[in-house]
Amino acid sequence: MTAMIWAEGLTKFYGESRGVTELSFEVEAGEVFGFLGPNGAGKTTTIRLMLDLIRPSSGKLELFGLDVRKQSVAVRSRAGYLPGDLHLYERLTPREYLRYVAALRGLDGLGEGEALAERFELELERPIRALSKGNRQKVGLVQAFLHQPDLLLLDEPTSGLDPLVQKTFNELLREVVAEGRTVFLSSHILSEVQRLADRVAIIREGSLELVEAVDVLRARAFVRVEATFSTPPPQEAFANLPGVRELERRGPVVVLALEGAADPLIKTLARYEVLALDSHEADLEDFFLTLYREGSASAS
Amino acid sequence: MRASVLTRTLRDKWRSFRWWCIGILAFVALYGAVFPSLHGNKSLDNLIKSYPEALKGFIGFGGNLDIGSGAGYLGTEVFSFWGPIVFLAAAIAVGADAIAGEEERGTLDLLLSLPVWRVRCLLEKLAALVCEVVALGIVLWVLLVIVSAAAGMGVSAANLAATTIALILLALMFGSLALAIGAATGRRALAIGLSATLAVAADVLNALAPLASWLNSAKFVSPFYYYSHDDPLQHGLDGSDLLVLLALVLVVACLAPIVFARRDLSTP
Repeated sequence: MTAMIWAEGLTKFYGESRGVTELSFEVEAGEVFGFLGPNGAGKTTTIRLMLDLIRPSSGKLELFGLDVRKQSVAVRSRAGYLPGDLHLYERLTPREYLRYVAALRGLDGLGEGEALAERFELELERPIRALSKGNRQKVGLVQAFLHQPDLLLLDEPTSGLDPLVQKTFNELLREVVAEGRTVFLSSHILSEVQRLADRVAIIREGSLELVEAVDVLRARAFVRVEATFSTPPPQEAFANLPGVRELERRGPVVVLALEGAADPLIKTLARYEVLALDSHEADLEDFFLTLYREGSASAS
Repeated sequence: MRASVLTRTLRDKWRSFRWWCIGILAFVALYGAVFPSLHGNKSLDNLIKSYPEALKGFIGFGGNLDIGSGAGYLGTEVFSFWGPIVFLAAAIAVGADAIAGEEERGTLDLLLSLPVWRVRCLLEKLAALVCEVVALGIVLWVLLVIVSAAAGMGVSAANLAATTIALILLALMFGSLALAIGAATGRRALAIGLSATLAVAADVLNALAPLASWLNSAKFVSPFYYYSHDDPLQHGLDGSDLLVLLALVLVVACLAPIVFARRDLSTP
């Protein structure tokens, strides 16, 4: 079976730092594929390449087994796109706008848009310029889903959505996947991707760092512990503790990654005078820190 | 009927189109009201005839400076003065907004994420430009026919039509130039500035052409030459001039999709 998305050596240079280099990955039908990276990493560039809005410098990119350049109209008819930076026709009402989108997709009325708007409790008759950010995002979501696309390209889809709407969105994604459709979801929030995706690719400065099943990623998850001491503890103070890695040291502040039981770390911390202690689930930045540590460790 | 890029664009332009129409109505009514007091006024004719040649080039239409006659009056006031200004301004504004305006507002990304062929999108935008300028032309023509009859200008509806068609083509040439520059660069201000500058340069070149022999052969590159030199208000339709203008429009219009199809779209 052909992959829904297939990229090989995909490269796009532009500007000085933006762009992507040598991306190779595959997305299978029926999966939610998380595309995770900090802002400016190349997530939007990758999606815009898929829609033929920009053209690759080199490499290959196919959606549904179709070349995104030569068969771009066929590709776009089967894909739904939610941009990360959403710009809509301010003067139109959501109904007018969605009818336009549906018409250009060859559908009468709003397609599935009517039902979706109802589900998201989107008011269709007020001009878009009068809508809140959350409501605009709903318009963006409805236009991406209204033709029941085989593939959804969602760029930071949950930004601006309140928790209740996010729940509706999560349900919608699950239904879409249950129907065998595919979701390509970009995000800079690790926990969001972990919650929604089956597999995840991590992109940083235009290059893929890893492509992994979310379960594998979750197994590597850790808690970030940041301790502030009255005087800096010795360099090797946390060196041999089980499940503990030292990530960073800034004077009296030590940042540690903790996997598994907390007890050995707590007992060790107690030997020094701790002024402040902060711990939370690792985010993407922390995750990158451990990636570099591993990288430099394996290099030395 | 299902909406298309063309019908959507026309609907969006409807609001500004009404204002252009009101402006044209006001001007034509004003000119119609003033004409009777100038009619047959020889001292004004003599005054204009005493103007320096350089100035005459700008105010005369096809060399006709007889401002006391209907054709001379409409030529100097309407077709060599505010007619080109209003029609070129409207066409350049619509043309520059077609692609570059949508791109700068960020709506082009979503539009072209739909299964719409880029070139087709551009051609529908171009068709909307043609519709708007032709509609403005029809409005102008109808008003001029009425005013010409009411104020006793004695210019035939056919000659007014011929001149209006030339004006429409002139405006379309610079409107599609603005559309092409906008489609090539994605920059609306550049598209407006560059095409307006070229229009003024072309007008000046044509107006000053009689003054210098080296300019006299250069005037053939100015679209304004084909627009006015044969004075269609007096002599009616000149097929070859209209064909040259039409060819210019087609050349510019064909360049636009070629450049647009090849480039990366920008985000605001």
